[in-house]
Amino acid sequence: MSSASQPRLQRRVRILLGEYPVDATFSPDGRTLLVGDGAGTLQLLDVASSALQPLGVHAGGVLAVAWQPGGKLIASSGQDGEVRLADARTRESRLLSKAAGWSERLAFAPQGKLLAVGSGRTLRVYGSDGIERTSPLQQPGAINAMAWRPKGLELATLGNGGARLHRLGSSAGASGAAASVETVEHAHAGACLTASWSPDGRVLASGLQEGSVQFWNIGANTKSQMRGYGTKVALTSFSANSRLLATGADQAIVVWDFSGGGPEGSEPLQLSTHTARLTQLAFQPQGPLLASGARDHRVALWRPGVATDPVDADLLAGELALLRWSADGRWLAAGDSTGQLSVYEVALK
Amino acid sequence: MPQKIPVTVLTGFLGSGKTTLLNRILSENHGKRIAVIENEFGEVAVDHELVIGAEEELFETANGCICCTVRGDLIRVLDQLRKRRDRFDHVLIETTGLADPGPVAQTFFVDEDLKEDFQLDAIVALVDALHINEQLAEVDAAAEQVGFADVLLLNKTDLVDDAQLARAERALRAINATAPIVRTRRAELPIDAVLGLGAFDLNRALQRDDRFLEAPRPFEWIGSYALGAGRHDLHTGGAHHHDHDHDHDHEHGHEAHAGHDHDAHDDGHADPHAGHDHGALAKVGLLVLPAPGAGESGIESALDEATRLFGSPGALKRPGSAIEPGVHCTLALDGHAHFGLELPKAGQWLVILEHAPVEFGFSLMGPAPGAQREYGSHHHDSDIGSIGIQDPRPLDPGKVNDWLGYLLQSRGQDILRMKGVLNFRGEPRRYVFHGVHMIFDGQLERPWGSGERINRLVFIGRNLDRNELEAGFESCVA
Repeated sequence: MSSASQPRLQRRVRILLGEYPVDATFSPDGRTLLVGDGAGTLQLLDVASSALQPLGVHAGGVLAVAWQPGGKLIASSGQDGEVRLADARTRESRLLSKAAGWSERLAFAPQGKLLAVGSGRTLRVYGSDGIERTSPLQQPGAINAMAWRPKGLELATLGNGGARLHRLGSSAGASGAAASVETVEHAHAGACLTASWSPDGRVLASGLQEGSVQFWNIGANTKSQMRGYGTKVALTSFSANSRLLATGADQAIVVWDFSGGGPEGSEPLQLSTHTARLTQLAFQPQGPLLASGARDHRVALWRPGVATDPVDADLLAGELALLRWSADGRWLAAGDSTGQLSVYEVALK
Repeated sequence: MPQKIPVTVLTGFLGSGKTTLLNRILSENHGKRIAVIENEFGEVAVDHELVIGAEEELFETANGCICCTVRGDLIRVLDQLRKRRDRFDHVLIETTGLADPGPVAQTFFVDEDLKEDFQLDAIVALVDALHINEQLAEVDAAAEQVGFADVLLLNKTDLVDDAQLARAERALRAINATAPIVRTRRAELPIDAVLGLGAFDLNRALQRDDRFLEAPRPFEWIGSYALGAGRHDLHTGGAHHHDHDHDHDHEHGHEAHAGHDHDAHDDGHADPHAGHDHGALAKVGLLVLPAPGAGESGIESALDEATRLFGSPGALKRPGSAIEPGVHCTLALDGHAHFGLELPKAGQWLVILEHAPVEFGFSLMGPAPGAQREYGSHHHDSDIGSIGIQDPRPLDPGKVNDWLGYLLQSRGQDILRMKGVLNFRGEPRRYVFHGVHMIFDGQLERPWGSGERINRLVFIGRNLDRNELEAGFESCVA
């Protein structure tokens, strides 16, 4: 491979938040990064100017943030037990709910009309007007992960005992309408920790506490499991073409290939460079690259299937806390445990 | 590598005073910043910024091994807390009254992420002095919490009389022979009694190993008597027993325990505050040995011999039969009975009893004992108990590895805790270990000093068999 076409991490922003970056998300246009930190501050980073603007505070720390696809709404939750909905333009926010327990999971539906909030074992679905579309849906256990199926109105919640698929009626997106919900159980022994849909919506994958990966082919109603991990699988990410699933356990990245008859019976690709436990793993949307980060303070960029070594890497000041791609795959944000935030432009040089 | 964050686990039955203790810890000015994870909602001031409510959730593995079960709620909450580790010094987990401490402890050894940031400090059990005997008899979780504990906080001592308190302590000792018992009323405790105990720190455990490894004995009482040669009358079923049946409700509901010949009493679980009758002991072990000297030191020097002899099956003695020194006997008790003790010579003699004399109205006609000592109770309200081994002989590290490996594989589900200091042949340093179910942690620590090199092991668990453990130990002697 000639270096002329090698993708590089070009750092465009480096700022010190001073607090642990807990969660972040790019605006749909990729120009702004919303970041929430361990002190509870929500800020908007303008990528072009590196300017930070405060958006609000969750006393005690931010837990999760989400940005409405194609829109201007920002959802956030914190250790104060609050879930807030803010307008990115006016920066005005309203309280959606407040409870003693935490709401750790936030996810906007693909069209941006619905917001799912997971609090312990309770799932709530709001419209973009902030009004609940269904009564709260109690799950059998805490929601460890959840993700909307690409295209459509189906939400997967995962936890101890498997996955559940919640199909919302087509009226759910309409303003003020109550939605019907049909729930399909995909039981599995063990505790599911992650939720990754293949972008084509066919496969739902999850990493498990006991060191395996579970796949559900929702359309074909089949499932399979890949074992052999030495530790829990806390990271999963699908490639943009739905062909590769990257999984992370301990220091190793294991990539399963879904082309042909895979991944059953196929040897996974193993990518190793990190010397401490992985903390982040994210395939590039609309591109072939995979970004990884670990407790070894390093962020690495890979081209799985093309090169077995990282195509580029960078050393941060602390353990990698988060990695987020912009929707177009051009920007990659990385935050470390010392509170330093970097934004790279990923370009073919 | 930053210091790991210490985590204290607070267990205790409903009504034991956990909420009172927690509120004290949160409101008192002790200079420590404590994050609290609360599985029981609503009773503690949740507006406190560092009190986090989380519903208990067990993550079991497909193979169903309880030793691999971890607590998902703790993994989830602690993963968030580690992101703000500069804001607190210590984590306290308040479990529900019925929680099994095993998965809580295992979480800190099994989950790879938590292991990097957190270190289990100690498991502290809060116990209600007024109700503990009844709870131990009726609910397995109570015995488990006591068995798992590194420290037992005996609360509400102002609500019971001395006899009830003593009974509560004996019941706790029967299950957990090593955890210090701290008495308290209204959970008024210095914070040092709860936080910073370092019970899982092998280095620190060593610094107080004399207390943490005082081995339990198969007997409860030794009296030292100055006796002449010839026949002496031993007397059981004395009036004491009938006057004090109130003292005996801790016998109720126990099951025959491996290694001990108790009869199970199935006569219900009456309110311990009301005196009530119950089935008396049917058998009791007895051993008479010549004392190497008078007083406590004479008792002390005969302990190992007495322990060894008590390990062999007792010769059954019916009322009226004769007893000779040096033979472990099992007296068949039948109300008021007499046994003849034949002594070959005059001197100082030790009478060693499986149960305290008060429990079966024991007396020796003649002089009162010049010295006497009580040992930990091995009465069982529960099938959980402690077994200790003390032995100076050097061990072979490879054989120890085989034995403990086998033990964890075969009995890991029954062993709640194990701790030990081992004397390896030719090794100048002590080998120190502890275990929770099948999780084992051990390493060579500081050198043996000028004192005696002695192996000390304690196992706390369900249906433990002293003979099996001693045979295993024996196989390790170098």
